[in-house]
Amino acid sequence: MTVLRAEGLHKRFSGVIAVKDVDLSVAEGELLGLFGPNGAGKTTVFNLIAGAFYPDEGRIRLNDEDITRLPAFRRARLGIGRTFQVVRPFRTLSVLENVLATVPSDDATARHDAETAFELLSQVGLAERAHDPAGELTLGMLKRLEVARALALSPRLLLLDEPIAGLTTREAGELLKFIRSLKARTSVVMVEHNVRLALPICDRAVVMDAGMVIAEGAPAEIRVHPEVVRAYLGEAAE
Amino acid sequence: MPMAGTPRTPRSTWLGVLSTVALAALAAALPWLGVSSYLRTLVYYAAYYLALGQAWNLMSGLTGYVSFAHGALAGIGAYAAVIALNAGWPMAAALGAAVAVTGLASLVIGATSLRLHGTAFTFATLFFQELVLLVLRKLPFTGGPGGMVLQEILPVWLPYVMMMAVAAGATIAMALVRRSRVGVRVLAIKNDEAAAAAVGIDSTRLKLALFCASAGIAGLVGAVHGIFAASLYPDVLFSVDISLVALAVPLIGGVATVSGPLAGAILYVGLREVLQVIAPALHLTIVGLLLLAVVLFMREGIVVALARIVTRRRPRMTPAALGAGRGD
Repeated sequence: MTVLRAEGLHKRFSGVIAVKDVDLSVAEGELLGLFGPNGAGKTTVFNLIAGAFYPDEGRIRLNDEDITRLPAFRRARLGIGRTFQVVRPFRTLSVLENVLATVPSDDATARHDAETAFELLSQVGLAERAHDPAGELTLGMLKRLEVARALALSPRLLLLDEPIAGLTTREAGELLKFIRSLKARTSVVMVEHNVRLALPICDRAVVMDAGMVIAEGAPAEIRVHPEVVRAYLGEAAE
Repeated sequence: MPMAGTPRTPRSTWLGVLSTVALAALAAALPWLGVSSYLRTLVYYAAYYLALGQAWNLMSGLTGYVSFAHGALAGIGAYAAVIALNAGWPMAAALGAAVAVTGLASLVIGATSLRLHGTAFTFATLFFQELVLLVLRKLPFTGGPGGMVLQEILPVWLPYVMMMAVAAGATIAMALVRRSRVGVRVLAIKNDEAAAAAVGIDSTRLKLALFCASAGIAGLVGAVHGIFAASLYPDVLFSVDISLVALAVPLIGGVATVSGPLAGAILYVGLREVLQVIAPALHLTIVGLLLLAVVLFMREGIVVALARIVTRRRPRMTPAALGAGRGD
Protein backbone atom coordinates (compact mmCIF):
# COMPACT_ATOMS: atom_id res chain seq x y z
CA MET A 1 0.00 0.00 0.00
CA THR A 2 1.29 3.47 -0.89
CA VAL A 3 1.45 5.81 2.11
CA LEU A 4 2.72 8.91 0.32
CA ARG A 5 2.38 9.86 -3.31
CA ALA A 6 3.76 13.17 -4.57
CA GLU A 7 3.22 13.98 -8.23
CA GLY A 8 4.72 16.72 -10.37
CA LEU A 9 6.04 18.80 -7.47
CA HIS A 10 7.35 22.14 -8.60
CA LYS A 11 8.68 24.93 -6.40
CA ARG A 12 10.55 28.10 -7.20
CA PHE A 13 11.94 30.81 -4.91
CA SER A 14 12.37 34.29 -6.42
CA GLY A 15 12.81 32.87 -9.88
CA VAL A 16 15.19 30.08 -8.82
CA ILE A 17 13.78 26.62 -9.48
CA ALA A 18 14.32 24.58 -6.30
CA VAL A 19 12.22 21.54 -7.25
CA LYS A 20 11.08 20.58 -10.75
CA ASP A 21 8.61 17.82 -11.70
CA VAL A 22 9.44 15.59 -8.78
CA ASP A 23 7.42 12.40 -8.35
CA LEU A 24 7.87 10.43 -5.16
CA SER A 25 6.04 7.52 -3.60
CA VAL A 26 6.60 5.70 -0.34
CA ALA A 27 5.14 2.30 0.45
CA GLU A 28 3.95 1.16 3.85
CA GLY A 29 6.89 0.05 6.00
CA GLU A 30 9.40 1.24 3.43
CA LEU A 31 12.63 3.07 4.24
CA LEU A 32 13.35 5.44 1.36
CA GLY A 33 16.66 7.28 1.08
CA LEU A 34 16.70 10.69 -0.61
CA PHE A 35 20.21 11.59 -1.72
CA GLY A 36 21.93 14.30 -3.70
CA PRO A 37 24.50 17.08 -3.39
CA ASN A 38 23.95 20.43 -1.66
CA GLY A 39 21.24 22.44 -3.38
CA ALA A 40 19.74 19.36 -5.03
CA GLY A 41 16.32 20.20 -3.56
CA LYS A 42 16.06 17.37 -1.02
CA THR A 43 15.12 19.54 1.95
CA THR A 44 12.71 21.55 -0.22
CA VAL A 45 10.93 18.29 -1.08
CA PHE A 46 10.83 17.50 2.65
CA ASN A 47 9.36 20.90 3.41
CA LEU A 48 6.74 20.50 0.69
CA ILE A 49 5.70 17.12 2.10
CA ALA A 50 5.70 18.37 5.69
CA GLY A 51 3.78 21.54 4.78
CA ALA A 52 6.39 24.14 5.71
CA PHE A 53 5.39 25.69 2.37
CA TYR A 54 3.13 24.77 -0.53
CA PRO A 55 4.18 23.62 -4.01
CA ASP A 56 3.62 25.94 -6.98
CA GLU A 57 2.43 22.91 -8.93
CA GLY A 58 1.78 19.26 -8.20
CA ARG A 59 -0.16 17.25 -5.66
CA ILE A 60 0.68 15.41 -2.48
CA ARG A 61 -1.46 12.60 -1.16
CA LEU A 62 -1.15 10.83 2.17
CA ASN A 63 -3.03 7.53 2.22
CA ASP A 64 -5.06 8.77 -0.77
CA GLU A 65 -6.03 11.97 1.04
CA ASP A 66 -5.01 15.16 -0.76
CA ILE A 67 -2.89 17.16 1.67
CA THR A 68 -1.37 19.60 -0.86
CA ARG A 69 -2.89 22.70 0.75
CA LEU A 70 -3.04 21.56 4.36
CA PRO A 71 -0.96 23.52 6.90
CA ALA A 72 1.96 21.82 8.64
CA PHE A 73 0.14 21.19 11.92
CA ARG A 74 -2.73 19.42 10.13
CA ARG A 75 -0.27 17.19 8.26
CA ALA A 76 1.44 16.36 11.56
CA ARG A 77 -1.91 15.36 13.01
CA LEU A 78 -2.59 13.22 9.94
CA GLY A 79 0.61 11.37 10.71
CA ILE A 80 3.59 13.09 9.10
CA GLY A 81 6.41 13.39 11.63
CA ARG A 82 9.66 15.14 10.80
CA THR A 83 13.07 16.11 12.09
CA PHE A 84 15.08 19.12 10.93
CA GLN A 85 18.40 19.48 9.12
CA VAL A 86 19.50 21.97 11.80
CA VAL A 87 18.02 20.64 15.06
CA ARG A 88 15.10 22.64 16.41
CA PRO A 89 14.34 21.42 19.93
CA PHE A 90 12.20 23.43 22.35
CA ARG A 91 15.32 24.45 24.24
CA THR A 92 13.76 25.94 27.39
CA LEU A 93 11.47 22.95 27.89
CA SER A 94 12.67 19.78 29.52
CA VAL A 95 13.47 16.75 27.36
CA LEU A 96 10.26 15.10 28.55
CA GLU A 97 8.21 18.23 27.87
CA ASN A 98 9.57 18.27 24.30
CA VAL A 99 7.87 14.93 23.74
CA LEU A 100 4.75 15.83 25.73
CA ALA A 101 4.24 18.96 23.61
CA THR A 102 3.34 16.89 20.54
CA VAL A 103 -0.25 16.37 19.45
CA PRO A 104 -0.68 12.68 18.52
CA SER A 105 -1.98 11.97 15.05
CA ASP A 106 -5.74 11.67 14.62
CA ASP A 107 -5.70 7.89 14.38
CA ALA A 108 -3.35 7.25 17.33
CA THR A 109 -4.95 4.51 19.35
CA ALA A 110 -3.72 5.82 22.69
CA ARG A 111 -3.29 9.45 23.71
CA HIS A 112 0.26 9.66 24.93
CA ASP A 113 1.02 10.54 28.52
CA ALA A 114 4.20 10.94 30.53
CA GLU A 115 4.73 7.19 30.71
CA THR A 116 4.58 6.66 26.97
CA ALA A 117 6.79 9.75 26.51
CA PHE A 118 9.30 8.15 28.88
CA GLU A 119 9.11 4.94 26.88
CA LEU A 120 9.92 6.84 23.68
CA LEU A 121 12.84 8.57 25.41
CA SER A 122 14.08 5.17 26.61
CA GLN A 123 14.02 3.90 23.03
CA VAL A 124 16.34 6.71 21.92
CA GLY A 125 18.47 6.45 25.08
CA LEU A 126 17.40 9.73 26.67
CA ALA A 127 15.31 8.59 29.64
CA GLU A 128 18.11 9.54 32.04
CA ARG A 129 18.00 13.12 30.76
CA ALA A 130 14.19 13.43 30.80
CA HIS A 131 14.08 16.28 33.30
CA ASP A 132 17.00 18.29 31.93
CA PRO A 133 16.38 21.36 29.78
CA ALA A 134 16.69 20.29 26.15
CA GLY A 135 19.13 23.15 25.58
CA GLU A 136 21.69 21.26 27.68
CA LEU A 137 21.86 18.23 25.38
CA THR A 138 24.65 17.49 22.92
CA LEU A 139 23.97 17.51 19.16
CA GLY A 140 23.76 13.72 19.05
CA MET A 141 21.22 13.71 21.87
CA LEU A 142 19.20 16.48 20.22
CA LYS A 143 19.02 14.48 16.99
CA ARG A 144 17.66 11.53 18.96
CA LEU A 145 15.25 13.81 20.84
CA GLU A 146 13.85 15.06 17.53
CA VAL A 147 13.28 11.45 16.45
CA ALA A 148 11.48 10.69 19.75
CA ARG A 149 9.41 13.87 19.36
CA ALA A 150 8.38 12.88 15.82
CA LEU A 151 7.56 9.33 16.95
CA ALA A 152 5.28 10.74 19.65
CA LEU A 153 2.92 11.72 16.83
CA SER A 154 2.42 7.99 16.07
CA PRO A 155 3.37 8.85 12.48
CA ARG A 156 2.39 7.01 9.32
CA LEU A 157 5.33 8.68 7.63
CA LEU A 158 8.55 9.81 9.27
CA LEU A 159 10.74 12.38 7.50
CA LEU A 160 14.32 12.41 8.78
CA ASP A 161 16.43 15.30 7.50
CA GLU A 162 20.13 14.40 7.75
CA PRO A 163 19.72 12.47 11.02
CA ILE A 164 23.38 11.49 11.33
CA ALA A 165 24.99 14.77 10.25
CA GLY A 166 27.49 15.92 12.87
CA LEU A 167 27.43 12.64 14.80
CA THR A 168 30.42 10.45 15.56
CA THR A 169 30.69 7.21 13.58
CA ARG A 170 29.56 5.23 16.62
CA GLU A 171 26.59 7.54 17.29
CA ALA A 172 25.66 7.48 13.59
CA GLY A 173 25.80 3.68 13.50
CA GLU A 174 23.55 3.36 16.55
CA LEU A 175 21.03 5.86 15.21
CA LEU A 176 20.90 4.22 11.77
CA LYS A 177 20.30 0.86 13.41
CA PHE A 178 17.43 2.42 15.36
CA ILE A 179 16.03 4.06 12.21
CA ARG A 180 16.11 0.70 10.45
CA SER A 181 14.09 -0.78 13.32
CA LEU A 182 11.38 1.87 12.83
CA LYS A 183 10.24 0.21 9.60
CA ALA A 184 8.06 -2.08 11.69
CA ARG A 185 5.88 0.82 12.82
CA THR A 186 6.09 3.53 10.16
CA SER A 187 7.30 4.41 6.69
CA VAL A 188 10.48 6.45 6.66
CA VAL A 189 11.99 8.94 4.21
CA MET A 190 15.55 9.88 5.08
CA VAL A 191 17.62 12.65 3.53
CA GLU A 192 21.30 12.01 4.14
CA HIS A 193 24.63 13.29 2.88
CA ASN A 194 26.58 10.32 4.13
CA VAL A 195 25.66 7.92 1.34
CA ARG A 196 28.20 5.33 2.40
CA LEU A 197 26.59 4.86 5.82
CA ALA A 198 22.96 5.56 4.97
CA LEU A 199 22.42 3.79 1.62
CA PRO A 200 22.86 0.23 2.93
CA ILE A 201 19.95 0.50 5.37
CA CYS A 202 17.51 1.82 2.72
CA ASP A 203 14.99 -0.35 0.89
CA ARG A 204 15.01 2.05 -2.02
CA ALA A 205 16.81 5.26 -2.92
CA VAL A 206 15.99 8.38 -4.92
CA VAL A 207 18.80 10.65 -6.09
CA MET A 208 18.19 14.31 -6.95
CA ASP A 209 20.22 17.01 -8.63
CA ALA A 210 19.31 20.60 -9.52
CA GLY A 211 15.77 20.05 -8.25
CA MET A 212 15.10 16.96 -10.37
CA VAL A 213 15.09 13.21 -9.74
CA ILE A 214 17.94 11.67 -11.73
CA ALA A 215 17.88 8.09 -10.44
CA GLU A 216 15.64 5.77 -8.46
CA GLY A 217 15.97 2.15 -7.44
CA ALA A 218 17.33 -0.38 -4.96
CA PRO A 219 20.62 0.51 -3.20
CA ALA A 220 22.51 -2.00 -5.35
CA GLU A 221 21.20 -0.36 -8.52
CA ILE A 222 21.93 3.14 -7.26
CA ARG A 223 25.53 2.23 -6.45
CA VAL A 224 26.20 1.36 -10.09
CA HIS A 225 23.87 3.83 -11.76
CA PRO A 226 26.12 5.67 -14.23
CA GLU A 227 24.52 9.09 -13.68
CA VAL A 228 24.76 8.80 -9.92
CA VAL A 229 28.26 7.42 -9.86
CA ARG A 230 29.51 10.06 -12.26
CA ALA A 231 27.81 13.06 -10.77
CA TYR A 232 27.10 12.46 -7.09
CA LEU A 233 28.45 9.43 -5.37
CA GLY A 234 31.85 9.18 -6.93
CA GLU A 235 34.24 7.47 -4.60
CA ALA A 236 31.62 7.30 -1.84
CA ALA A 237 29.80 4.62 -3.78
CA GLU A 238 32.79 2.40 -3.92
CA MET B 1 9.41 9.69 39.97
CA PRO B 2 7.82 13.15 39.58
CA MET B 3 7.30 14.10 35.96
CA ALA B 4 7.54 17.63 34.66
CA GLY B 5 4.66 18.91 32.60
CA THR B 6 2.46 15.88 33.10
CA PRO B 7 -1.26 16.31 32.54
CA ARG B 8 -1.85 15.47 36.18
CA THR B 9 -1.61 18.54 38.39
CA PRO B 10 1.25 17.99 40.82
CA ARG B 11 1.00 18.49 44.56
CA SER B 12 3.14 21.64 44.46
CA THR B 13 0.57 23.30 42.19
CA TRP B 14 -2.28 22.49 44.56
CA LEU B 15 -0.22 23.81 47.48
CA GLY B 16 0.38 26.94 45.43
CA VAL B 17 -3.35 27.27 44.75
CA LEU B 18 -4.18 26.86 48.44
CA SER B 19 -1.57 29.39 49.55
CA THR B 20 -2.80 31.86 46.89
CA VAL B 21 -6.37 31.51 48.16
CA ALA B 22 -5.20 31.89 51.77
CA LEU B 23 -3.13 34.99 50.95
CA ALA B 24 -6.01 36.54 49.00
CA ALA B 25 -8.44 35.79 51.85
CA LEU B 26 -6.07 37.42 54.36
CA ALA B 27 -5.65 40.47 52.14
CA ALA B 28 -9.42 40.65 51.58
CA ALA B 29 -9.99 40.60 55.34
CA LEU B 30 -7.75 43.64 55.97
CA PRO B 31 -10.64 46.18 56.04
CA TRP B 32 -12.04 44.31 59.06
CA LEU B 33 -8.69 43.85 60.79
CA GLY B 34 -8.09 47.51 61.62
CA VAL B 35 -5.43 48.02 58.97
CA SER B 36 -4.99 51.64 57.85
CA SER B 37 -6.66 52.76 54.63
CA TYR B 38 -3.22 53.77 53.29
CA LEU B 39 -1.88 50.23 53.64
CA ARG B 40 -5.09 48.81 52.21
CA THR B 41 -4.70 51.06 49.18
CA LEU B 42 -1.17 49.77 48.67
CA VAL B 43 -2.42 46.18 48.95
CA TYR B 44 -5.22 46.99 46.50
CA TYR B 45 -2.80 48.39 43.93
CA ALA B 46 -0.44 45.44 44.37
CA ALA B 47 -3.39 43.10 43.70
CA TYR B 48 -4.52 45.24 40.74
CA TYR B 49 -1.08 45.14 39.13
CA LEU B 50 -0.68 41.45 40.00
CA ALA B 51 -3.97 40.59 38.28
CA LEU B 52 -3.14 42.70 35.24
CA GLY B 53 0.40 41.30 35.17
CA GLN B 54 -0.92 37.73 35.30
CA ALA B 55 -3.33 38.48 32.46
CA TRP B 56 -0.37 39.74 30.39
CA ASN B 57 1.77 36.82 31.54
CA LEU B 58 -0.83 34.27 30.46
CA MET B 59 -0.60 35.49 26.88
CA SER B 60 2.64 37.35 26.33
CA GLY B 61 4.72 35.59 28.99
CA LEU B 62 3.89 32.14 27.71
CA THR B 63 3.82 32.81 23.95
CA GLY B 64 6.50 35.51 23.70
CA TYR B 65 4.09 37.76 21.76
CA VAL B 66 4.54 41.05 23.65
CA SER B 67 1.22 42.87 23.98
CA PHE B 68 0.81 46.58 24.58
CA ALA B 69 -2.97 46.27 24.47
CA HIS B 70 -3.63 45.03 28.00
CA GLY B 71 -4.08 48.53 29.43
CA ALA B 72 -6.65 49.26 26.72
CA LEU B 73 -8.39 45.91 27.31
CA ALA B 74 -8.66 46.72 31.02
CA GLY B 75 -10.01 50.17 30.06
CA ILE B 76 -12.67 48.59 27.84
CA GLY B 77 -13.66 46.35 30.75
CA ALA B 78 -13.95 49.37 33.03
CA TYR B 79 -16.21 51.21 30.59
CA ALA B 80 -18.35 48.13 29.90
CA ALA B 81 -18.91 47.46 33.61
CA VAL B 82 -19.70 51.08 34.54
CA ILE B 83 -22.07 51.53 31.56
CA ALA B 84 -23.84 48.28 32.51
CA LEU B 85 -24.11 49.24 36.19
CA ASN B 86 -25.39 52.71 35.28
CA ALA B 87 -28.03 50.98 33.12
CA GLY B 88 -29.22 49.12 36.20
CA TRP B 89 -27.62 45.75 35.52
CA PRO B 90 -26.75 43.62 38.55
CA MET B 91 -23.06 43.42 39.52
CA ALA B 92 -22.49 39.87 38.22
CA ALA B 93 -24.04 40.72 34.86
CA ALA B 94 -21.98 43.93 34.61
CA LEU B 95 -18.77 42.01 35.28
CA GLY B 96 -19.83 39.34 32.79
CA ALA B 97 -20.47 42.07 30.20
CA ALA B 98 -16.96 43.45 30.81
CA VAL B 99 -15.43 40.03 30.20
CA ALA B 100 -17.58 39.44 27.11
CA VAL B 101 -16.83 42.84 25.54
CA THR B 102 -13.07 42.58 26.11
CA GLY B 103 -13.11 38.99 24.88
CA LEU B 104 -14.84 40.16 21.71
CA ALA B 105 -12.38 43.04 21.29
CA SER B 106 -9.46 40.63 21.73
CA LEU B 107 -10.95 38.34 19.11
CA VAL B 108 -10.87 41.23 16.64
CA ILE B 109 -7.32 42.29 17.57
CA GLY B 110 -6.08 38.72 17.79
CA ALA B 111 -7.56 37.55 14.49
CA THR B 112 -5.92 40.47 12.70
CA SER B 113 -2.61 40.77 14.52
CA LEU B 114 -1.65 37.29 15.74
CA ARG B 115 -0.44 36.32 12.28
CA LEU B 116 2.26 38.94 12.78
CA HIS B 117 5.45 38.13 14.64
CA GLY B 118 7.81 39.91 17.02
CA THR B 119 7.77 43.70 17.04
CA ALA B 120 5.12 43.80 14.28
CA PHE B 121 2.62 42.22 16.69
CA THR B 122 3.68 44.56 19.49
CA PHE B 123 3.18 47.63 17.32
CA ALA B 124 -0.20 46.34 16.17
CA THR B 125 -1.35 46.12 19.80
CA LEU B 126 0.07 49.59 20.52
CA PHE B 127 -1.89 50.88 17.54
CA PHE B 128 -5.02 49.23 18.96
CA GLN B 129 -4.43 50.96 22.31
CA GLU B 130 -4.34 54.38 20.62
CA LEU B 131 -7.27 53.54 18.33
CA VAL B 132 -9.52 52.63 21.26
CA LEU B 133 -8.68 55.92 22.98
CA LEU B 134 -9.54 57.89 19.83
CA VAL B 135 -12.84 56.03 19.36
CA LEU B 136 -13.89 56.28 23.01
CA ARG B 137 -13.30 60.01 23.05
CA LYS B 138 -15.77 60.38 20.17
CA LEU B 139 -18.55 58.08 21.38
CA PRO B 140 -21.52 59.82 23.02
CA PHE B 141 -22.40 57.03 25.46
CA THR B 142 -18.87 56.93 26.93
CA GLY B 143 -18.97 60.58 27.96
CA GLY B 144 -16.42 61.65 25.35
CA PRO B 145 -13.13 63.20 26.51
CA GLY B 146 -14.70 64.13 29.88
CA GLY B 147 -15.28 60.47 30.74
CA MET B 148 -18.06 59.15 32.92
CA VAL B 149 -18.85 58.33 36.55
CA LEU B 150 -20.41 55.37 38.30
CA GLN B 151 -23.78 56.65 39.44
CA GLU B 152 -24.40 54.15 42.19
CA ILE B 153 -22.40 54.62 45.40
CA LEU B 154 -21.01 51.24 46.42
CA PRO B 155 -19.22 50.30 49.66
CA VAL B 156 -15.44 50.79 49.35
CA TRP B 157 -14.73 47.25 50.53
CA LEU B 158 -16.64 45.68 47.64
CA PRO B 159 -14.22 46.44 44.76
CA TYR B 160 -11.34 45.86 47.20
CA VAL B 161 -12.48 42.34 48.01
CA MET B 162 -13.35 41.67 44.37
CA MET B 163 -9.85 42.70 43.27
CA MET B 164 -8.28 40.26 45.76
CA ALA B 165 -10.47 37.49 44.33
CA VAL B 166 -9.61 38.46 40.74
CA ALA B 167 -5.86 38.59 41.52
CA ALA B 168 -6.04 35.15 43.17
CA GLY B 169 -8.11 33.78 40.30
CA ALA B 170 -5.70 35.12 37.68
CA THR B 171 -2.75 33.61 39.55
CA ILE B 172 -4.46 30.23 39.85
CA ALA B 173 -5.42 30.32 36.16
CA MET B 174 -1.81 31.02 35.24
CA ALA B 175 -0.58 28.15 37.47
CA LEU B 176 -3.02 25.64 36.03
CA VAL B 177 -2.34 26.64 32.43
CA ARG B 178 1.44 26.60 32.97
CA ARG B 179 1.29 23.11 34.46
CA SER B 180 -1.05 21.74 31.79
CA ARG B 181 -0.27 20.19 28.40
CA VAL B 182 -1.61 23.44 26.89
CA GLY B 183 1.06 25.37 28.82
CA VAL B 184 3.80 23.09 27.50
CA ARG B 185 2.51 23.54 23.94
CA VAL B 186 2.34 27.31 24.29
CA LEU B 187 5.92 27.39 25.56
CA ALA B 188 6.83 25.23 22.57
CA ILE B 189 5.39 27.94 20.31
CA LYS B 190 7.49 30.51 22.19
CA ASN B 191 10.59 28.37 21.58
CA ASP B 192 10.07 27.68 17.88
CA GLU B 193 6.77 28.19 16.09
CA ALA B 194 7.71 26.22 12.96
CA ALA B 195 8.89 23.25 15.03
CA ALA B 196 5.68 23.49 17.08
CA ALA B 197 3.61 23.23 13.88
CA ALA B 198 5.68 20.17 12.90
CA VAL B 199 4.52 18.37 16.06
CA GLY B 200 0.87 19.16 15.40
CA ILE B 201 0.39 22.36 17.40
CA ASP B 202 -2.12 24.77 15.86
CA SER B 203 -0.30 27.87 17.01
CA THR B 204 -2.72 30.44 15.54
CA ARG B 205 -5.71 28.91 17.29
CA LEU B 206 -3.87 28.37 20.57
CA LYS B 207 -2.49 31.92 20.63
CA LEU B 208 -5.92 33.35 19.83
CA ALA B 209 -7.59 31.29 22.57
CA LEU B 210 -4.97 32.38 25.06
CA PHE B 211 -5.21 36.00 23.98
CA CYS B 212 -9.01 35.94 24.46
CA ALA B 213 -8.66 34.32 27.90
CA SER B 214 -5.97 36.81 28.85
CA ALA B 215 -8.12 39.71 27.57
CA GLY B 216 -11.12 38.42 29.52
CA ILE B 217 -9.06 38.52 32.72
CA ALA B 218 -7.75 42.01 31.83
CA GLY B 219 -11.34 43.11 31.20
CA LEU B 220 -12.45 41.76 34.58
CA VAL B 221 -9.50 43.49 36.28
CA GLY B 222 -10.41 46.73 34.50
CA ALA B 223 -14.08 46.37 35.45
CA VAL B 224 -13.29 45.99 39.15
CA HIS B 225 -10.82 48.87 38.99
CA GLY B 226 -13.43 51.01 37.20
CA ILE B 227 -15.86 50.33 40.06
CA PHE B 228 -13.08 51.11 42.58
CA ALA B 229 -12.16 54.38 40.84
CA ALA B 230 -15.83 55.23 40.09
CA SER B 231 -14.68 57.97 37.70
CA LEU B 232 -13.44 56.98 34.23
CA TYR B 233 -11.27 59.40 32.27
CA PRO B 234 -10.23 58.03 28.87
CA ASP B 235 -6.83 59.76 28.85
CA VAL B 236 -5.97 58.14 32.20
CA LEU B 237 -7.56 54.75 31.58
CA PHE B 238 -6.04 54.33 28.12
CA SER B 239 -2.66 55.75 28.98
CA VAL B 240 0.10 53.51 27.71
CA ASP B 241 1.48 53.55 31.28
CA ILE B 242 -1.04 50.90 32.32
CA SER B 243 0.06 48.57 29.52
CA LEU B 244 3.66 49.21 30.55
CA VAL B 245 2.92 48.23 34.16
CA ALA B 246 1.13 45.08 32.98
CA LEU B 247 4.36 44.19 31.17
CA ALA B 248 6.79 45.45 33.82
CA VAL B 249 5.36 43.43 36.72
CA PRO B 250 6.05 39.98 35.17
CA LEU B 251 9.26 41.23 33.63
CA ILE B 252 10.62 42.26 37.05
CA GLY B 253 9.42 39.13 38.86
CA GLY B 254 9.80 36.52 36.14
CA VAL B 255 8.11 36.16 32.76
CA ALA B 256 6.13 32.93 32.29
CA THR B 257 6.43 32.10 35.99
CA VAL B 258 3.47 31.96 38.36
CA SER B 259 5.04 33.64 41.39
CA GLY B 260 7.06 36.22 39.42
CA PRO B 261 4.23 38.73 38.91
CA LEU B 262 3.43 38.63 42.66
CA ALA B 263 7.02 39.57 43.50
CA GLY B 264 7.01 42.12 40.66
CA ALA B 265 3.76 43.75 41.81
CA ILE B 266 4.84 44.03 45.46
CA LEU B 267 8.25 45.38 44.45
CA TYR B 268 6.77 47.83 41.96
CA VAL B 269 4.16 49.24 44.37
CA GLY B 270 6.59 49.33 47.31
CA LEU B 271 9.34 50.99 45.32
CA ARG B 272 6.96 53.51 43.77
CA GLU B 273 5.69 54.53 47.21
CA VAL B 274 9.15 54.88 48.73
CA LEU B 275 10.46 56.82 45.74
CA GLN B 276 7.44 59.12 45.66
CA VAL B 277 8.39 60.16 49.19
CA ILE B 278 12.17 60.39 48.92
CA ALA B 279 12.59 61.29 45.23
CA PRO B 280 9.22 62.32 43.78
CA ALA B 281 10.75 63.83 40.64
CA LEU B 282 12.81 60.76 39.90
CA HIS B 283 10.58 57.87 40.82
CA LEU B 284 9.56 56.98 37.27
CA THR B 285 13.18 57.22 36.12
CA ILE B 286 14.34 54.90 38.89
CA VAL B 287 11.57 52.40 38.18
CA GLY B 288 12.64 52.51 34.52
CA LEU B 289 16.25 51.90 35.51
CA LEU B 290 15.20 48.96 37.68
CA LEU B 291 13.39 47.47 34.72
CA LEU B 292 16.45 47.98 32.55
CA ALA B 293 18.68 46.35 35.17
CA VAL B 294 16.40 43.32 35.40
CA VAL B 295 16.30 42.97 31.62
CA LEU B 296 20.08 43.27 31.37
CA PHE B 297 21.25 41.27 34.37
CA MET B 298 18.34 39.02 35.42
CA ARG B 299 16.62 38.18 32.17
CA GLU B 300 14.51 35.47 33.78
CA GLY B 301 13.34 37.83 36.54
CA ILE B 302 14.01 38.20 40.22
CA VAL B 303 12.18 35.06 41.37
CA VAL B 304 14.15 32.75 39.09
CA ALA B 305 17.43 34.55 39.87
CA LEU B 306 16.81 34.17 43.62
CA ALA B 307 15.85 30.51 43.20
CA ARG B 308 19.13 29.92 41.40
CA ILE B 309 21.06 31.55 44.25
CA VAL B 310 19.18 29.51 46.86
CA THR B 311 19.68 26.20 45.08
CA ARG B 312 23.28 27.22 44.10
CA ARG B 313 23.10 25.17 40.97
CA ARG B 314 21.48 25.30 37.59
CA PRO B 315 17.91 24.11 37.78
CA ARG B 316 17.14 20.67 36.45
CA MET B 317 13.83 22.04 35.33
CA THR B 318 12.99 24.81 32.92
CA PRO B 319 13.01 28.39 34.31
CA ALA B 320 9.26 28.59 33.92
CA ALA B 321 8.67 25.41 35.83
CA LEU B 322 11.15 26.49 38.47
CA GLY B 323 9.22 29.69 39.05
CA ALA B 324 5.96 27.82 39.07
CA GLY B 325 7.07 25.02 41.28
CA ARG B 326 8.92 26.84 44.00
CA GLY B 327 7.40 29.49 46.15
CA ASP B 328 4.12 29.76 44.32
